[in-house]
Amino acid sequence: MKSTNTHRADRGCTSRRATSGLRGLLALGLAFGVAACDTDVVNPGPIAGDFLDSPDAQAAITNGAGRALGDAMNWISYTSASVAREIHPSGSTGSFGITPEQQRGELNNDEVNTHWENVHRARFMVEDGLDRIDQLEAGEQDDEVLAQLYLWGGYTYRLAGESLCEAVIDGGSAQDHGVFFTRAIELFDQAASLGTGDVRTAAVAGRASVKVWQGDWAGALADAGSVPDDFSYVMPYYDIGDDNQGNRLYIAAKSEPYKAHSQWSTWVEGYGMSEDTPDGDPRVPYTITGTVGDASTSCCGEVPFNPQTKYENDDAAIELSSGPEMRLLEAENALFNDSDMATAVAIINELRADAGVDPIAPASMTEAQMMFLREHAIEQWLEARRLPALWRWNEAGVPLETLLQPLEQVGDGNIQTGSHLQERDFCFPISEGEEQTNPNVG
Amino acid sequence: MNSILSNAGPSWPHRWRMALAFAVGLFLVGAPLQAQQTGTVTGNVNDAQSGAILPSVQVYLVGSGLGTLTNNNGRYLIVNVPAGSYTLRAERLGYATQDMQIEVTGGGTVTQDFSLESEALGLDEIVVTGTAGAARRREVGNTISQVDVADLPDNPTNVDGLLQARIPGMSVMQTSGNAGGGAKIRLRGNVSVAQSNQPLIYIDGVRMRSDAFHKNVPPTGYPGRSGNDVASPLNNINPDDIARIEVIKGAAATTLYGTEAAAGVIQIFTKRGHQGQARWNASIEQGFQRLQKFGVDPGLRPSSEAAETSAGGTSDYVFINPWLRDAYQQKYSLSVSGGGDALQYFVSGSYSDDEGVLPNDQQTTSTVRGNFTFSPLENLQLQWNTSYTNDEFFNTAAGNNAHGLTLNVFRRDANYRGSEAREDIDPLLGQTISTQIDHLITGGTATWTPRTNFTNRLSIGYDLAQQNNRNLRPFGFALAQNGILSDGRSEFETLTFDYVGTLSFDLTGSIGSALSFGGQSVTTETQQTVAYGEDFPGPGDPTVTTAGTKLGFELRERVVNAGFFAQNVFDISDKYFITVGGRVDGNSAFGEDFGLQFYPKVSGSWVVSDESFWSMDGSQLKLRAAWGESGRAPGAFDAVQTYDGVGWGGVPAFFPRVLGNADLGPERTAEWEMGFDGSFLDNRLSLDFTYYNQTTSEALFAVRQAPSTGFIDVNGGNSQLENVGEINNQGIEIAANYQVIQGREWSWDIGTSISTNQSEAGLPEEVANISVGGNGWIIDGEPVPVIRGFKVMNPDAIADPDIQPDQIYGPNAPTQIIGVHSSLTMPGGILLSVRGEYQGGHYVTQGVAINAIGRSVIWPGCYEAYAIAGTDVSQGPLSATDPGYDQLTASQRARCNPNLAEGEFWAEPADFFKLRQVTLQFPVPEAWIPGTAGANLTLSGQNLWRWTNDEWTHYDPEMGGNSDNNAISRDGVSNGDFLVTSISEHIPVPATFTVALRVNF
Repeated sequence: MKSTNTHRADRGCTSRRATSGLRGLLALGLAFGVAACDTDVVNPGPIAGDFLDSPDAQAAITNGAGRALGDAMNWISYTSASVAREIHPSGSTGSFGITPEQQRGELNNDEVNTHWENVHRARFMVEDGLDRIDQLEAGEQDDEVLAQLYLWGGYTYRLAGESLCEAVIDGGSAQDHGVFFTRAIELFDQAASLGTGDVRTAAVAGRASVKVWQGDWAGALADAGSVPDDFSYVMPYYDIGDDNQGNRLYIAAKSEPYKAHSQWSTWVEGYGMSEDTPDGDPRVPYTITGTVGDASTSCCGEVPFNPQTKYENDDAAIELSSGPEMRLLEAENALFNDSDMATAVAIINELRADAGVDPIAPASMTEAQMMFLREHAIEQWLEARRLPALWRWNEAGVPLETLLQPLEQVGDGNIQTGSHLQERDFCFPISEGEEQTNPNVG
Repeated sequence: MNSILSNAGPSWPHRWRMALAFAVGLFLVGAPLQAQQTGTVTGNVNDAQSGAILPSVQVYLVGSGLGTLTNNNGRYLIVNVPAGSYTLRAERLGYATQDMQIEVTGGGTVTQDFSLESEALGLDEIVVTGTAGAARRREVGNTISQVDVADLPDNPTNVDGLLQARIPGMSVMQTSGNAGGGAKIRLRGNVSVAQSNQPLIYIDGVRMRSDAFHKNVPPTGYPGRSGNDVASPLNNINPDDIARIEVIKGAAATTLYGTEAAAGVIQIFTKRGHQGQARWNASIEQGFQRLQKFGVDPGLRPSSEAAETSAGGTSDYVFINPWLRDAYQQKYSLSVSGGGDALQYFVSGSYSDDEGVLPNDQQTTSTVRGNFTFSPLENLQLQWNTSYTNDEFFNTAAGNNAHGLTLNVFRRDANYRGSEAREDIDPLLGQTISTQIDHLITGGTATWTPRTNFTNRLSIGYDLAQQNNRNLRPFGFALAQNGILSDGRSEFETLTFDYVGTLSFDLTGSIGSALSFGGQSVTTETQQTVAYGEDFPGPGDPTVTTAGTKLGFELRERVVNAGFFAQNVFDISDKYFITVGGRVDGNSAFGEDFGLQFYPKVSGSWVVSDESFWSMDGSQLKLRAAWGESGRAPGAFDAVQTYDGVGWGGVPAFFPRVLGNADLGPERTAEWEMGFDGSFLDNRLSLDFTYYNQTTSEALFAVRQAPSTGFIDVNGGNSQLENVGEINNQGIEIAANYQVIQGREWSWDIGTSISTNQSEAGLPEEVANISVGGNGWIIDGEPVPVIRGFKVMNPDAIADPDIQPDQIYGPNAPTQIIGVHSSLTMPGGILLSVRGEYQGGHYVTQGVAINAIGRSVIWPGCYEAYAIAGTDVSQGPLSATDPGYDQLTASQRARCNPNLAEGEFWAEPADFFKLRQVTLQFPVPEAWIPGTAGANLTLSGQNLWRWTNDEWTHYDPEMGGNSDNNAISRDGVSNGDFLVTSISEHIPVPATFTVALRVNF
């Protein structure tokens, strides 16, 4: 009945020599030692940072930078579209949703952590990649890949400069967001120099859009002039079972399950093309579902769910640069810098003709400016560019309260009769997470 | 005889006929002679104080290899005892051993009864957990809690339920009412923020996986597309197989288990065989589960709110009652134990088939076990224990899951179906979430005692669990029209080698020494592959192969921990014991070696009642104190900067993963405890007391980096493990039991366990406060974790709310746990047993409430506010324009006005009391079931009743704990997971009612 695990056991305390026992112990110890010697730890999957210094890693580094930029654009385009009233909230406030504050037009620092992080990750991927590729031997660098990395970098810094109120770099103190544009120009320059074909043209177009922010209209127009009308360079998204790689604006409204935004009570409703407005502008399409959004909105309860159809699948790309964008830069310059209404209207009407839409015939400069602002809204709808443009024009003193369409303006407090936007923040502030972890800004 | 010989035939030689005659004669004569040479020993065993019969008492003839256990009627029978003189011994846990001298005659029957004296303290009992090898309780300087499972009258459905409210300092939280869900177990609070807080689990000396299995959720997309609970390996053990459980709770006691043991150790010992005839136990259990009300009284609803939803739901069940059912439960078990001198065995099997209260929930479990003890030599004992469990369960999609039943019911017509009608929600039941776990635990122990003072024990254990998770939303599913399927296979292996040698000798005449030494190696391997597909071409039962989009995921990880230890117990006059020991551990990591870590321990005990000055007869007292260290290593590769291959549209792409920290090392937990174990008043009162103080230094925290540095992983995480700060836990633990009545017909005992836990984080100034989700934070000087956020500073004022950010609510983990239990034995052996538990001092956020209110759902938790404000809920939720709005308190406005509501406003005091178990047991007369040796009928109920404090509005404070929105929780448990309890869209654990018939034969 003896067992070391029974509740009672006899214990002997007799003093004995244990020589033979020790010999046995030594044998056991050796056996144990052999058994315990294999301490190899296997964890395949993570990749040691050192590997990224290898020439073989250039492409994946560049792709990572591209994906990071795509993630950043994905989040900013969606949230800024709500605040710019390119879309109207129709429910979800959580995942793939629009928070109540953002529904009102606020961009608060505790709700922009992901946006802030995504932009900075994209910036890190570019700079880290460039540092690593710079270390390679002459002849090991792949110019085509490097040019692409420079291009992603240019767009990343453009996104940062256009979207973030202030620049914070690598845990430093806050600076004017213009520093992002300075870096963007440097990277576009490199991309244009090293790249070929569409990469080069995109770099030139991107550079033009940044120079406008710097007030370098001459430089911007010089670049814009070399971009063909039909040029388009996009940020791709993918329908591969990973929502992070899919077009977020689309996913948020594809009814599986979210029905988070609508074109109801936006300037698009009634103007764009839909079942109710078959002759509407095909560049701003939407659909009438006859249902309501997935939750009540903070302003208006349940609202009709009439989502955009510009993006019709997870893999719908978002445009980064285009020929029409360049034409609008030229029109803006003509209208606001040169007071040349005729040139501006001609440019706009050429774009409208290409789209199969009736031309505009403004009767006054003010009307022309209003129509230009609408044309800009159409051309760059849901591309993370509208809110930055509003910011730039506001900074430049453009009277948005006069020139914007009513439903795009900040309301007068009466949401029953006017815009449901109660205020508008033009940019994403320093995130709460940054303030909590960075002593230079906290 | 002559007729036999004559029939043998004329050809047989005469001498052969004579030989045959002799042999036959010998047989004919020898048999009765043989029978006349053996006898029978029988008798009854009862409690000397109360006279109550005692089952499961070992009664054996010392040195003969013959023995048995008393049956349910306290009777024993030993047959075929060779004639002679014997020492007949009776022994059982909790009672003093008794010997009787008997004389057995051939053909005779010896009747020998025993009356055993109870021994509340059991100082000479052997305990094994936390000791090097085996030690007597009197020698151990730390507290060891023990649950004698074999004697429990109730019908626990799983080990989690068995442990609830039994052990001071232990909290066992079953987080949802899902089938297959496991509990979150904590011993003395949270010892780590970044590592698992689940105690280590050993079964018969074999280390088994203690962290939860992988959650059944697709590897991509929203991480909550699941039933959102996880299964526990602990529940793969059949409670009927368990003899006892030992628990040690802190670093002072876990030192010999080294790294990973800082959160405590649970040792499970399963039943063994015995010398004697085979004894069978069979049980049939039938019952049902029913979900109790957890919502708001419908009588409080405003007049504009209908009594029922269109589906028939009412607010007392938060409208889910139309989908609930009484869940049928059934379980069948059979075991046999017995053996001889050289081999004893215990073999068991069980089958259970349980419905869950949710429509798709179902669980089927089969277990088999074989425990064998073999003594080929006098000084060598071999034990081999093997169990296999097949556990298959189906879940209803639940939790914070937009495709799930519970969320869409709770959010009423603001759900993702746009309707609360039955026909619109029922399609969500068309998804399949099935989990199958095959769990093999096998191991052997060889105990070799070449000399009486030198014992060697070598254990080898292997724990293998294979899990298959299938998660299907079929083609045509309401919220994923083209269908989504994920099929994951996980394998968890733990291989243990463990050696302990103990050499005992006398230093002087009154000072003995027991030197123990040994080592342990634990290798854990996890492998997971998941196939994912979406966009199927049509209806039918799909495979991933048939999907339009296919993805594959793989995880492989292997970690080795190895260590050596040595310990010496100084025994001074068998009254004073000093233990000194230490352990050295090694842990390897990719590219960096943390080096060896040394964990010391020292403890002492003093059996005061053995002193000559001790004058309290019928009492015992042992004082004890212990100090020790344990540790927890970070994960493999946490120190090294790594990147992930995340892919981008089919091409390879890198993303940051871990920033890296070359200075990273293990966290160390040091603890000291002191207390006493005592029994008084003629052993009627047993009292254990412990004070503990435990500090984790160099604590591993996931320190957030400034996002502008940009090193952010694919899930948005930008933290790096660093050894910063401290976590301190301190408190007291009291266990008391008093035998109020000790009589032959009646006996009544009452008991309580009380534990407190005060925790505090220590963070250096340069480290930012750490968010751990669910409004939980790690903040310097505050409990671990603490609920913090926006708070209404004038809650009771009839005014607009004054809302301030970053306000502290209180700890998220209970600071006081009080268990109460009582057993009443009545005439006829009828037993009534009751057990309850109170937890309090903590706050839990009702995330489910804000998720609904933020969507302008008419929420039952706001009925009172609606009524006061005169809200016409048919037109919408609470609004500042409601006629009586200005009569609301600031708190009511803040919580129930969708334009003001924040999640933190729904952080509520979570004090509760639950009636964990009520059991009524009747002995069944043997005559009713002929051929048996005893039977009893047991009626048992679990989780029958719940009290919550006045400020708690709805749901169950024990719910939650599985962070539905935490992508890391996709793997079941990871850094910091399960740290915060918050209420998401789950249902509570239902009440269980069972009746069981147990028969011995």
